[in-house]
Amino acid sequence: MKEIFSYVRPYKWTAIFALCLMLLELFVELVQPLIMAKIIDDGVRAQNHGMIMQWGAVLLGLSFVAFMAGIINSYFSSHTAQSFSYDLRNAMFDKIQSFTLATYQKFSTASLITRLTNDVTQVQTVLFMSLRIMLRAPLAVIGSIVMAFFVNAKLALFLVIGAPIIFLFLIFMVAKGVSYFGRVQKRVDRLNRVLQENLQAIRLVKAYLRGTYESTRFDEVASRLKFDTVKALRIMEYIMPVLLFIMNMSLLAVIWFGTKQIAAGTTPLGDIVAIVNYAMRMTGSFSMFAFIIIFYARAKASAERMAEVLSTENEVEDTSFSEEISHDMRYGELTFEHVSFTYPGGESPVLSDVNFQVKSGEKLAIMGATGAGKSTLLQLIPRFYEVTAGRILVEGRDVQQWDLQDLREVIGYVPQQSLLFTGSIADNVRWGDEHAEMDAVLQATMQAQIHASVEDFPNGYATKVGQKGVNLSGGQKQRLSIARALLRRGHILMLDDSTSALDVKTEQALWEALSEEHATMLVVTQKIRTAKGADRILLIDAGKVVAYGTHEELLQTSTLYKKIAISQQEVEE
Amino acid sequence: MGFFQKPFGYEPILTKDDLQQVMKKKKGPRASDWKSTLLRLWKIVDEQRALLIVVLLLVMTSSILALVGPYLIGQMIDNYVMHGELTGLGKGIVLLIGIYMLLAVSLFLQNFWMIGIAQQTIYRLRTSIFAHFQRLPIAFFDRRQHGELMSRMTNDIEAVSSTLNSSFIQVFSSVLTLGGTVIIMLSLSPLLTILTMTIIPIMFWAMRWITRRTAPLFKEQQAAMGALNGMIEETISGQRIVKAFSQEERMKAEFQEKSLRLKRTGFWAQTYSGYIPKVMNFLNNMSFTIVAGIGGVLALYGHVSIGVIVIFTEYARQFTRPLNDLANQFNTVLSAIAGAERVFALLDEQPEVESASERKHQLLGHVAFKQVYFKYEQEEESYTLKNVNFKVEPGQTVALVGATGAGKTTILQLIARFYEVTKGEVLFDGINVQDIDRPSLRSQMAFVLQDPFLFEASVRDNIRYGQLNASDAAIEEAAKRANAHDFIMKLKDGYDTILAADGREISQGQKQLLSIARALIADPKILLLDEATSSIDTVTEMAIQEALDTLMQGRTSFVIAHRLNTVHNADMVLVMHKGELVEAGSQQKLIESGGLYAQMLHSSSHHLEE
Repeated sequence: MKEIFSYVRPYKWTAIFALCLMLLELFVELVQPLIMAKIIDDGVRAQNHGMIMQWGAVLLGLSFVAFMAGIINSYFSSHTAQSFSYDLRNAMFDKIQSFTLATYQKFSTASLITRLTNDVTQVQTVLFMSLRIMLRAPLAVIGSIVMAFFVNAKLALFLVIGAPIIFLFLIFMVAKGVSYFGRVQKRVDRLNRVLQENLQAIRLVKAYLRGTYESTRFDEVASRLKFDTVKALRIMEYIMPVLLFIMNMSLLAVIWFGTKQIAAGTTPLGDIVAIVNYAMRMTGSFSMFAFIIIFYARAKASAERMAEVLSTENEVEDTSFSEEISHDMRYGELTFEHVSFTYPGGESPVLSDVNFQVKSGEKLAIMGATGAGKSTLLQLIPRFYEVTAGRILVEGRDVQQWDLQDLREVIGYVPQQSLLFTGSIADNVRWGDEHAEMDAVLQATMQAQIHASVEDFPNGYATKVGQKGVNLSGGQKQRLSIARALLRRGHILMLDDSTSALDVKTEQALWEALSEEHATMLVVTQKIRTAKGADRILLIDAGKVVAYGTHEELLQTSTLYKKIAISQQEVEE
Repeated sequence: MGFFQKPFGYEPILTKDDLQQVMKKKKGPRASDWKSTLLRLWKIVDEQRALLIVVLLLVMTSSILALVGPYLIGQMIDNYVMHGELTGLGKGIVLLIGIYMLLAVSLFLQNFWMIGIAQQTIYRLRTSIFAHFQRLPIAFFDRRQHGELMSRMTNDIEAVSSTLNSSFIQVFSSVLTLGGTVIIMLSLSPLLTILTMTIIPIMFWAMRWITRRTAPLFKEQQAAMGALNGMIEETISGQRIVKAFSQEERMKAEFQEKSLRLKRTGFWAQTYSGYIPKVMNFLNNMSFTIVAGIGGVLALYGHVSIGVIVIFTEYARQFTRPLNDLANQFNTVLSAIAGAERVFALLDEQPEVESASERKHQLLGHVAFKQVYFKYEQEEESYTLKNVNFKVEPGQTVALVGATGAGKTTILQLIARFYEVTKGEVLFDGINVQDIDRPSLRSQMAFVLQDPFLFEASVRDNIRYGQLNASDAAIEEAAKRANAHDFIMKLKDGYDTILAADGREISQGQKQLLSIARALIADPKILLLDEATSSIDTVTEMAIQEALDTLMQGRTSFVIAHRLNTVHNADMVLVMHKGELVEAGSQQKLIESGGLYAQMLHSSSHHLEE
């Protein structure tokens, strides 16, 4: 909670000003009854019309002051609350952007979404309310108690007799509320998750006719959410009746003991009447008080969830000591030295003791069975994950010594699943280099063999791509994601089986176009034919390098390679 | 006054024109929009009428008890306390203890049940949206961002939820108190009552001024929230790309922009909403002054007694309190309406077309396209498929080949009736697909999609998706045939391994193996394989080829594959080119004719060997 509310600090002056305005309002409100009493007593009762007018004017004047204070407070409080939540959202998003892929495993996407929107809203609401109305209730209660003590301390004692119980009760309730509401937010995460999954898999769900099945699954998470929300809110509903009841009992105690004292002649009647009045005023603020507690508990639960995101330690530290070394000498060179890797939380190593070197401008084909570790190997180079042992050198420097930004700058990566983003085709290609001129974009798309297809679209490069590129064919998506990587003009180009959906002719044209590239290339492929065009082939099996060399060498030395070649009818048995 | 125009540099969102538009609309469709939204919401709430009536009765009880308490205390003070009479007082106190207990209980119970009603309503809303999603055509999802849709399910519904929890009770109790007070006031002095009521028109005017601003702002706020959610979902799901291209800074900037839009609308919505209690307070004081002033004059001429004025001013205050509450509640309800409208907009989306002539049909396996034209969006000029004609006999294996974007996947999607043809007919056993009941059609098909998708569930359940009542043994059998068994056994918990959301434990190729196992277990009449083996190495592919061959036996199968040797045993090859079917026939025939297919085969065997 503390950590989250430190985000109010930049706005403390507007917040304080808002609070001052609220106090001014409160002050006017406290004075008002006195003036009203004056109007009644000196004006109406005394039939003094002038007095009514005079005090009436004062009352209206003061109300106008309160009104203006209230209106201005509205601006200041909402500015504070909105700026606070804006900063908080941005801080969280920035933090999330700095997460390593391993850190993402700790939070599901759905949960991060909830935290960035729903949870922020909860806390924001509380802040706004505190600046406007919330403090009123406690102040009113305290004010009334103080006044009661002024009137008659002995009797007033009965009013606060229940206070310790109330205090303990409230602490208990807040603790309960925080844990219950925390669970509610988790349920929201879960609901979000099922929903997201279904949106992603909508074709699968429809193809296998699992609409009802999915609905049942969703019903389950929705009803759990309902159950926990109801439970949390219902627990909170104890607060108001209990507070009211304790207060009313104190009130009755005041009357009872007060009357005794009257009978004994120690206390004047007026004292009792006054204290009863104050007590009633206190109960009036109690519903607001209960409301505050509920909101506070809820916000606290949300704040804890946000603090969790903000305080997550990243495994990779952004080492920013990018010394001015000229890497041109080893432009695009890549070396793996005894690299082993196990996924965080995983048990068995995915890669073990991988060694190889790709010289500047060379092309390495990586082959291996499904699940052999090919994609993993690529992902270690831009440091998506940290190696468990050994080291990877890019242009002669250990990747851990690179500034992350600079490192990724020199790599053009085409992932296995071509993922595009909502926006135009040109926007998507420009991911490679956001400042690229249209000429450069065209050059990249031509090289990636997608230019002609784009031109065929009615809107050309301005064609909107739906989420994840739904309105494009698999091959079009792959080529766009290749264009995106090419536009980067990196020193190392990595293609992770990214031509699987291309027809042979297009693929051939693509490889031809790519042969002009200076960049060092790493190509994961299933096709012997593609591998043949490479300078060297790295064959891995179950995370180990089993063969390394040219096509001809491998045909001689590796039985596995030969088997693959046979399966593709590239060589005779 | 510059501050109020552009406070803290917030640009105003609503222009004068906007407001005029809102005002104009307010008389017509706008107001009725609210009404219909509320009415729809009410219909769901009303499903629990019995409980609702109980809640209302409890609200009445507690409202009365809340009045009785102070009244009795007043009586007690007059009758007993003043005289120090303890016995009578004791009785009174016992009575009051009872009343206060009843009050506490009725307060608790009304909220207890109301929460139940509200959350049940929310649950119904959520599940009906989700169920509706299942009926919506694929085209709907193509156009939407996932995160935006998710926002409706959480943030928009949340706006409705918080209002339902409290507003209903508060509105009702305010109306009760208001009615009671007006009756008492009228009995005291009709004239003064009317005087008190003079603030009502001003109040209405003020409320209109405010809500004319807040209502569109609330809507805009929910929309901004949705857009932000959409962006977050996409960015986080695509984090790998963001990182690979070091786009973090740009993403941050884009996020801040969207976040700023939310901040701006939030600021104005909150600020204007904050006006309400202040305006109300001011009006209260005005009404007090009016009553006191004019009442005083009236008393001067003996029209009313001074006592009445004194009591009356007290009631006038009581009269305005529930009015205040109502005004605030009205605003809250508006924010709920903004959320509810977006939710109902989803429910109003047209579901997949169902014609009256649809009926169940046991597929034999004939599939035919008759002059099929298709485009994804009505507005598009060019067709994705143009005049496609073919006929497939039961049990045949059909290979679809052609350049990317030629329309191969589209053909499969039309067979599965994910989309409706624009022109022409898709026929199964001579029956138009539009006359076949969709569930009956899809239950006889299995589809292995281009992008294999796995759920965050165990491996076993992911395979079982193809056939929900498959036994564990059958699942293992399918996995073995799909060559997935070995790698599954190497996973941490074997078949019970829960796959993570991003499925990082297993590779893309392994995902495809699992999708194939899923299709194997479905035992379909028609099989659609879209690049089902593209990420699988060729050795493994050979191993599962046998399984695929057996799978395809006796079923009509459509296969898209780029490695032409994987479609070696196809009975028929359909060659697509730019949306047109340019060649069709047996492999032999096509090779002999020396057309596009022959060329493709040729180029594929001379690939990279220039």
